[in-house]
Formats: sequence, structure tokens, C-alpha cells
Amino acid sequence: MSTEIRQTVIDDAILSDKLPSHEREGQIFWKLRWRGANAQLHQIFTQARLRTGLVIGLSLLFWVGLFFLFYKGFELVVARVGPPGANYHADTVHFVFTLFFVSLQVMLVFSAGIIFYGGLYASRETNFLLTLPVRDSRLVYYRFQEALFYSSWGFFLLASPMMFAYGMVVSAPWYYYAYMPGLMVAFAYIPCSLGAIVCLLLVSRMPHFRRFVVGGLALVVISIAYFSIWKTLDMADADLLGAAWFKETFRRFEFTREEWLPSTWLSNGLLQAARPRGQDPADLPWLESGKYLLVLVSNALLLHIAVAWVGERIYRESYFGLYTRQARESLARMAWFDRLAFKLLSVFSKETRLLIIKDLRLFRRDPVQWSQFLIFFGLLLLYFLNIDRFRQQRTNINVLAWVNIVSFLNLAVVGLIVSTFTTRFIYPLISLEGRRFWILGRLPVKRDTILWGKFLFAAGGAWVPCTGLVLVSDLMLNVTTMVIFVHQAICIMLCLGLSGMAVGLGAILPDFNEQSPSKIAAGFGGTLNLVLSALYVMIVVFINALPCHYFLMTYAHDMNSRLHSGNLKFWLGVAVFGSCLLTILVTSIPLYKGFKAFRRLEM
Amino acid sequence: MIRFEHVTRSYGSRVAVDQLDLSVAKGELLALLGHNGAGKTTSLKMIVGLLRPSSGRVSVNGYLVTDHPRETSKLIGYVPDQPYLYEKLSGREFLEFVGEMYGLTSAEVREGVGREAERFQLVEFLDQLTESYSHGMRQRTVFAAAMMHQPEVLIVDEPMVGLDPHSIRMVKDLLREYVSQGKTVLMSTHTLSVAEEIADQVAVMKSGELLFHGPIEQLRSSVPGAIGSLESLYLALMEG
Repeated sequence: MSTEIRQTVIDDAILSDKLPSHEREGQIFWKLRWRGANAQLHQIFTQARLRTGLVIGLSLLFWVGLFFLFYKGFELVVARVGPPGANYHADTVHFVFTLFFVSLQVMLVFSAGIIFYGGLYASRETNFLLTLPVRDSRLVYYRFQEALFYSSWGFFLLASPMMFAYGMVVSAPWYYYAYMPGLMVAFAYIPCSLGAIVCLLLVSRMPHFRRFVVGGLALVVISIAYFSIWKTLDMADADLLGAAWFKETFRRFEFTREEWLPSTWLSNGLLQAARPRGQDPADLPWLESGKYLLVLVSNALLLHIAVAWVGERIYRESYFGLYTRQARESLARMAWFDRLAFKLLSVFSKETRLLIIKDLRLFRRDPVQWSQFLIFFGLLLLYFLNIDRFRQQRTNINVLAWVNIVSFLNLAVVGLIVSTFTTRFIYPLISLEGRRFWILGRLPVKRDTILWGKFLFAAGGAWVPCTGLVLVSDLMLNVTTMVIFVHQAICIMLCLGLSGMAVGLGAILPDFNEQSPSKIAAGFGGTLNLVLSALYVMIVVFINALPCHYFLMTYAHDMNSRLHSGNLKFWLGVAVFGSCLLTILVTSIPLYKGFKAFRRLEM
Repeated sequence: MIRFEHVTRSYGSRVAVDQLDLSVAKGELLALLGHNGAGKTTSLKMIVGLLRPSSGRVSVNGYLVTDHPRETSKLIGYVPDQPYLYEKLSGREFLEFVGEMYGLTSAEVREGVGREAERFQLVEFLDQLTESYSHGMRQRTVFAAAMMHQPEVLIVDEPMVGLDPHSIRMVKDLLREYVSQGKTVLMSTHTLSVAEEIADQVAVMKSGELLFHGPIEQLRSSVPGAIGSLESLYLALMEG
């Protein structure tokens, strides 16, 4: 048999003759990207103008907001600590820069690693490319470039306003701005490469435990960050921002200023470029900064080669290892959660209950959905549990005013996040029924019942976390009972309104051709739902917050006689009535139209 | 042309392909038959380099797939059961990409696109984005891509699923014509009538093991009491 196998005498040149060179492969992939991006851009600018306009507009707004925030912050540093060259200026800004960049550095490692994994091991495109005569190292590069792009855009969006703000505040010379893109790109390249290499090694060496390891590492990082922040803020207001606090905080975060960290090289590079030139003719800030740029670039290039080297050696093996491991059997049973939900929903008809339980199961068994839910609400919970600073100095009218404002802002944030979830997960529900509509359509159930089921599922599912989070926020802020009641009433209204809008619009504007919920949500109907939902949340919160705030302020300062509390009570009543009316409108109109459209639906 | 030698592929403790010995000669069309989970797709994936055998060897034209995945893939055209297309590329751009990846020159790519578009009747929608294609159009585009570099071996996984009668006829004619040119086809299918019509040989797999390999006539004589179509022979073999 082996005589027939010519492996020992194989002349690779015969077969590989005419196959593209490494460079040519790279060019073909760039051409592929260019053509795909071109078609995508053409489509979004011609078919999704609303969404594109919103994304660009909001990104610009976010960038300008951040820039303004950083600008004011650096102005404060210059005013209080001194201009560049003054004692402690460099130390203070260095502290801010290194802390900021080290946090982003860790996030880049994780996000690049996860995106790289998704592209290299869990994508149908990669399966297809593996059947073509593509070099493994080229495939790894191709996916790495994608991971680099998708993971680092957030870094550029966050870091660029800070860098520009600092440069403008300290009147940095031209080479500060000239070095900036190089410093940023070279810096982003390093943690992204490390994330990619760690991903390859993890899948290669521990395919079974890859998620466990990543989860464990993330938990360690979050714990360190949480305890560092906790320790920094855990002191009386009087001591906060004092000299001792600064000294202690500076010492606590010493690990972020280690000389071997790329974040430190980036910070040093920026500070050197921004500082004024000294008296000494040999003191050349552009040269000092340039050295850090070179350190970053050379490390980035080294890691660029390392990614390809590691990929070439272990990628295909790790791919085989991953896809030939034993598949886990997923037993689908009636969980206690379903049983509990079934009992809790006993007020509804059996058909409605079954429809809600079906949606609940689909949600529960799709980690993409509940993990996003968990991350957003988990982060909010973490924040709400740590806002009890306002509980100190409760007698100060300014603090009391802030307590009320913050409590309503928290309510608005929860409402806005719920609106993104109803857009992302509830709005596409009707469209997703498209291909399986024959099941629901043939059931002896009224079509209205199907929509009611979705509405109740959405409203109930949104209300539980919404009310819980707002209650935590209110309790931590120690607001009055009246405010708690107003907030809880608003929560119910928001959940009803947002669910009505999402279900109704989803039925009015279904997209049965699309099977990806994220793409359905990103279409015209989804964007419209998001915009209307955000407007609705802001209107309801604002019209209640204003009279409520003045009402509480007048009571707190005993200004009843001067500010005519009777009038304020009237306006508070008008606000509650107005929000109820608005909620009834935004719930009933889309639902009414949605029911009509759904009854007429033909598949 | 294609050879499996004592090939075993396991997923953990589950054996998907067990000691498979199978060969497909040059100029032959072999239909791989078997129930779902019999190991057909796993076997095909080992030829195209998407899976590696746990033990044994898979070779194409004498070259070991595991040792030279890039070079052997040049010999192979692969049509998977779930075709992948770049949604934001037109059919023409997709075919050009595949042709360039196989190292064809610009002139060869142009000629290949024209030839395959004509053969698979893709001409009128060749410049539309593939996201607008129906399942049949997608399947034909993937076929065209697999044929761009005129491979020596065509590996086809469930080629008839979702195709209309006209396209099925086209694919059947194509496969026969291809084999008549001295090239090799290995096709996995559940459509027994198609296998009966166009295959030179059939191989039947059950639970990872090869139950039968040979011409249909031989299958007829080896299954006692079985008469009639390949379907009855196949079912008798499976139940036996």
C-alpha cells in the first residue's frame, strides 16, 4: 500500500505550481474585503440612511461629549496642579493616562481574543476557506485583521478625544498630533496580538476548558478592578480627594505604571511629545517621544510575526482538535423555571401561557440573548450598589438635589437599556416566526392570542429586572417613599409602552426574509422602534422628574408658602396623568395596528 | 484516485468512521449512501481537509491530504451540503475570488467565470449580490466555484437538496459528463434514484462502517431475496 503512496517522493512544486504566493494571497484577501466593504457601504448609505445617520450622529455626539469631558478635566489639572513642566503635572497626567490605557489594554486582549476565536473557529466562512488552498498563516492573518479592527475601534473612539483634549489644553506641538495615530495603532496592535496568540494556545492546549479559562480570567480582572475602585472610594467624604487620598491612590495603582507595559510606553510617548522643550539643547521631546513610538512599533511588528508563526504551527491542529471533541448532549427538560413561570401565569388562558413559555424557553436556551441581558443589567446593578455616597450629608440641599436628579437619571438609563432590549429581542420576534408560521398559523389559537402572548412575555420579562434595578438604586440613594412609588409606577408604564411598541411595530413591519434577529433589529423598523422608544422613555422620565424634583426641594427647604406647593402637586398630577395617557397611546396604537396587520398576514 | 486506508475518525468516545477502506478510481463516480449519522459527511470532510483521521490515511492521487492540505486541495473541487457564499459579493466576484485563490491567471479567471456561468445558467444574475439568490441559485454558484479550476476530483455532499427538477437534471448531466472526461466524483446522497441513475459504484455506510462497496449489480446479487430498485436493495441491506 505504501508503495502506492508517493508521499516520500512528493514534489510539492508540481502541485503548488501556480498557487498564489504569500503576498498574492494577501492581495486577494484585501480585494475580497474591499469588494465586500464597498457593497456594504453602498447598501447602508442607500437603503439604511436612518440607521446610518443615527449611528454616525450618535458616535459624533459621544466623541464630542467625551472630548468636552476630558478637556474640562485636563483644564482642571492644569489649573490645580500646574502646566506641563510644573511639579506633579507629569505625575498626575501619567497616572491618568496609564490607568486609562492599562484598562483598555486588558479589554483589548479579551475582545480581540474572543472576536478572533469567533472568526477562526466558529465561522462558516473559515470552514469554506479551509477547503481552498489558503496558507494557514494567511488565514490566521485574515481573521486577526478582522479581530484587530472590530476590537480596537472602541479604543480609538475612547482614546482619541482624550488625546486631542490633552494636546489642546497643554498647547502641544505639531509632532504630538503627528505621532498620535502611530502610537495608537502600534499600541492597539500589541494587546490584540496577545489576545490572538492566547486564543490559539488555549484552543490548542485546552479545547474543553477554553470558556472556563476565559471566564475565570475575566472574573479575576473584574475582581481586581472592582476592589481597587472600592478601596479608592471607600472613605469619608471629608478625606476624599485630599493629599493623603491622592498619595494612597497613586500607590495603589502603581502596577499600572510598570515600565514593561505597552500602556506605559504609550503614556510616556504622549507626555514626552506634549511637554515643552527644556533649556538644555540636547533635550529633544520629539526624539524622546519618537523612541517610545519605535518601541511600540517594533513590539507590534514582532507580535505580528509571532501571530503568524504560532498560527502556522498550531492553527489547523487546534481546529481539528476542537471539532473532533465529544459533543455534549443537550437534554431539554421542563426546568423549574418553566414550571414556576407556568404557575405564575395561571391568570392567563392556557394557550397564552404555552406561547409565553415557548418564548421564554427560546430565550433561556440562547446564551447570546441572556448573556447580553446579564452583562448590561449586571453592570447597572454593580453601579447602583455603589452609589451610596450621596447618603452622606443628607442635610445639604445640593446633595439632596443631586440625589433626586441621579435617581431619575438612573431610571432613565434603565428605561433606555430596556428599550434597546425590546428593540433587539422583542421587535424581531414576529419576523422570526416567518418560516415557522405554519406551526402557529395552523394551531387552533386566535392570531390575537399569539400577539398577546408576545406582549405579555415582553412586558413581564422587562418589568422584573427594570423594577428590581430601580428599587436597588432608590434604596441605595435613600430616596423618599413617594419617589419610590413614582419610580415603580413609571417602570410599569415604560415596560408596557416599550413592549407594546416593539410587538406592534414588529407585526406592522415584519421582515420574513431575514433570519438573523440582529439584522432585523438593525433594519428600518427596528431603528424606528429604537428611536421612538428612546423618545418615549425620555419624555416620560422628564415630565415626571421635573415636578417631582421641585416638589421635593420645596419640602426639603420648607419653601411651601413661597413656591405654592399646591401648584406643584397639580403639576405632579398632570405629569403622572400625562405619562399614563402617553403610555396608553404608545401601547395601544402600535398594538392595534399590529393586531390588524397580523390578522391579515398571509404566508 | 481517492483512497481511504483503515481510516477511523472519533468524536470523543463516539466513533463516526470505523476502519474505512475505500477507493474511488480515476474516471469513476461513486455514490456514498447511508442513514443520517452513518459517517458520510465525516468521510468527505477528511478528503477536503476539514477533518483529520484519528488513525489511517486519506490520499488523493497518491498524495496524503493531512501532509499536504494546500497542495491536494488544488486537485479537489468541493460542494458542501450547506453552501457558503459571501453575501456582499456578486456571483462574479465570488467566482473570481475562488479562481484567484487557485492561482488562475486573470485570463483564466475570466474564461472560467464565463464557462461556468454559462454551464450553470448563472449569466443573468451573475452581477447581483449573492444575498438575493435563491437556494437553487446558491447551490449552482457553489458548483460553479468548485469547477473554476477544473479539478481532477469533485467531492459533492448532498447535491440535489433544494434543487428544482431542471437543476437536478443539469447537475446529473454535469457529473456524468465530468466523469466521462476521466475525472473522479465522490458524491454523498440520500436520493437513491439519482445514485442508481448516475453512479458507477455505490458504497453503503452504517454507523461508521462500510457495509458494501461495488457496482449496483453486485449489490443486487449480494443481498439475497432483494429485487428491484436501489431503494429496495438499500433498505434490505440496512435491515439485514
